[in-house]
Amino acid sequence: MLDPMMEQLLPGFVDECKEIVERVTDHLIELEKAHERLRFDDLARGLHTLKGSAATLGLAELSELAHRMEDAVLPLRGKTTALPGALTDALLKTLDTWMAHLRATTAKSELPDLKPSHKLLEAVRHAVQAVEPGKPAANNGKAGAEKRKPSAAAEKEKEKEKKSSKREREAPVARAEPAPAEPAAEEDAGAAEEAGSWRVRTREVVSLLHEVERLREVRLRLEERRRELERGISQLARLGILAQTAEVRALLMGVQRALSADGDEAGDIVASMEDELKAICTLPVRTVLEPLRRSVRDLCKQSGKLARLSIVGGEVSLDRRVLESLRGPLVHLVRNAVDHGLEVPDVREARGKHREGIVVVRVEQQGNMLFIEVSDDGNGLDLALIKQAARELSIVPGVELDAMAPAQLHQLIFRNGFSTRRTVTEVSGRGVGMDVVRSQIQALQGHIEVQSTPGQGTRFTLTLPAELGSSPVLVVRCGEHELGIPMPAVETSLLARSGELRVARTRVQLSHRDHLIPVQDLGTLLALRQPEVPHDGQPLLVLQSQGRRIALAVDEVIGDRELVIRPLPPEVRDLAAYQGAATLARGELVLIVRSDWLTGVERREANLTGTRRALVVDDSLTARALHRTALESAGWSVHTASSGRQALEQLRHSAYDVMVSDIGMDEMDGYQLTVQARARPELEAMPIILVSARDSESDQQRGAASGADGFLSKKDCAAGRLIAEVQTVIARRKGAA
Amino acid sequence: MKLEPRFPDDVSQEDRELLERRAARLREKPRESEEESVLWAAEFPVGEDSYALPLDTLRAAVPLKMVTPVPLSPPHVIGILRFQGQILTAMSLSSLLGGRGWREDPAVLLVVDPGLGGRLLALDCERIPKPVPLPHALVEEALARATGAVAEVTLPGLHQVNLLDLRRLMDRRASEKRDA
Repeated sequence: MLDPMMEQLLPGFVDECKEIVERVTDHLIELEKAHERLRFDDLARGLHTLKGSAATLGLAELSELAHRMEDAVLPLRGKTTALPGALTDALLKTLDTWMAHLRATTAKSELPDLKPSHKLLEAVRHAVQAVEPGKPAANNGKAGAEKRKPSAAAEKEKEKEKKSSKREREAPVARAEPAPAEPAAEEDAGAAEEAGSWRVRTREVVSLLHEVERLREVRLRLEERRRELERGISQLARLGILAQTAEVRALLMGVQRALSADGDEAGDIVASMEDELKAICTLPVRTVLEPLRRSVRDLCKQSGKLARLSIVGGEVSLDRRVLESLRGPLVHLVRNAVDHGLEVPDVREARGKHREGIVVVRVEQQGNMLFIEVSDDGNGLDLALIKQAARELSIVPGVELDAMAPAQLHQLIFRNGFSTRRTVTEVSGRGVGMDVVRSQIQALQGHIEVQSTPGQGTRFTLTLPAELGSSPVLVVRCGEHELGIPMPAVETSLLARSGELRVARTRVQLSHRDHLIPVQDLGTLLALRQPEVPHDGQPLLVLQSQGRRIALAVDEVIGDRELVIRPLPPEVRDLAAYQGAATLARGELVLIVRSDWLTGVERREANLTGTRRALVVDDSLTARALHRTALESAGWSVHTASSGRQALEQLRHSAYDVMVSDIGMDEMDGYQLTVQARARPELEAMPIILVSARDSESDQQRGAASGADGFLSKKDCAAGRLIAEVQTVIARRKGAA
Repeated sequence: MKLEPRFPDDVSQEDRELLERRAARLREKPRESEEESVLWAAEFPVGEDSYALPLDTLRAAVPLKMVTPVPLSPPHVIGILRFQGQILTAMSLSSLLGGRGWREDPAVLLVVDPGLGGRLLALDCERIPKPVPLPHALVEEALARATGAVAEVTLPGLHQVNLLDLRRLMDRRASEKRDA
């Protein structure tokens, strides 16, 4: 039974060992191909660390097994030959058992039997000792023979080791084994480096991330308080009692300045903490990809194939949580590439290919998007086999199947239960795989595509958002909305000039560098306002995406920012217009519009034509939402404005069948808005309904006097009443006409 | 040593009696059985009606500020906001309930956990909710009668509280979205 204090250290120890075992595995695979002194030394160091650390924690059995692994390897120190395949196999299997035993110890579950590993190592150790320098050892009958006839020297050594192991067991907290002479100095250096690092649980770091977010929110509240204070000071000044309030105002202005400085400092701290946490929360992709070399090697051994795994872009750093979720899909794709994709060496040779197949994993980050390609130079997807399997599994009706294009047939491999393997092997044939891979990628808000050429190979492309990376974004304003546009899509920005615009009945084009580019209004695309021709001086952004160009009209270009784009919550995630949202410096969220959506929107243009249009004016977001709910459910197309000034601006460009306006708004109330609207001849006949939280006779009278057609209290704004009132005022207007 | 209660001279007889009543209430033994037989809920108005959420689903009440509207979103979506590192969707409860009138413009967002795997949501609210105990027996009775996301709990005095099942409300919204 473990000491309770040691038991607490176990989870951290598992993580540490996992890293060492991964490193040792990598070395074994490479050393099996060719000898490298530095690799060999690091391999020996890794095994030694496993042994010493296990002993320190009182895990005598594991320490003993690591010791046996060292015994099997160390006799080869100083030799220049590659590691014998049998030895590599034995060590890899033993490492698996070692980790399984450690995990079972931590989980307090049934421990795997270590005896077979000991036997395996013993056999292979003798086989290796029997090999002459320069000759690789084979895992043949010799090992057994050696085992039966141990030399006197080996017996003596074994006795010595037994004593050593006994000492270790008797003093589990001591790090009893001396380090191998050569790597000792380097190990010490490594240990010193390790001393500067701690192991921390993921949830603790995530919780810290959330705390930093909270701190950012506190910093925003500080800014809000400062603004409130500023408003208070202005109000005091407006009261006209400057002399009497001079002292108080001076005090308040001092507090305001201090608050501002504190806010700035808090902002700096938050930014710095976020940078540090970003560094903690990311890892290079190679930490997930490197262990795949072992999978490829093992699979080749099983299937008699030859394959090399090539990793490009392994240094790209990603959020650890994303990496962890990617591990399963990547393992599956790489194993599939070897098992399904690559041909056996003779077939490859007959087809004029190198006997050794190649599987390439290429990782690339563009902005906040991550692209991972897993490709092989094998046989390609077998369309005939896919069709046959689909027919047998009744996945698609036969007639439909015959009409399918190759790209459509490729998609069938992502169907639930699909497999072209008729027999179930350890690797494939269960029909569980590609559908799971796809759903895992989708869970990360990404997607997977497949391309395949018969006889040449298959390529899977995973595209997913990479959190914690930042992207250049151009922030623009459209009405009251600030929106981000990915900078890579922005070719240039210019100011509209009527001489450069070609205005036709249904479309506007910009003459730009000898080309005519369609002009789109961002507000119209986002259903915020009706289509309008850009006025002189209005900013236009020339965007290019997926081979298409448009000139996008916006109200203001605010500037470019480096922003971290995060996915939208599920309730709005399937809106095709957005890539995600990012936080601006003051903490407010800005939506990032997809550039390919912007450049490919012609098909949606006609959506609003022919419907009745309403303008809802209210400074309350929720009131606007409620009016929209009621009106849109009755078939109205609704545009909104958050103030009287904005409403007048929209009314200048667009015509509406009705306006529903709140009364109690800052700056310009509903009465003033109605009066100003009625002052314009073109708005004289537009039905206007005023909505108020109060329901007094005097309010109604004042509304009628200002020129409104109808009046509703907010509590009466239940869906039915608002629509009924709208219909009534429209009918009344028509009757009057 | 016996401690004598001290009353400052300026405490009125009325206040003194109030304090004594409070003290007497505090001296009463806690009625554990009563505590056990109620569901604590957060009650708030939506227009003319009274609604409630189980108190354990409520995570925070935050001012309705810094919400970013999302153009092209469904009408019941007010926008998105940041809350403790997450981006949450803010929704109009009144709209989710099918469009009801309201007395005053909501100024509060309730951050709630509807039981969707730890994902939080924000719902608008006219006033900061108050905690109320709902007798379990009445709640069970109302839940047995309810067919949708709202269970009408009728309290003594015929005061009706509409207890919301957020998960069902969201499921309904999701199925409507799928059907659309």
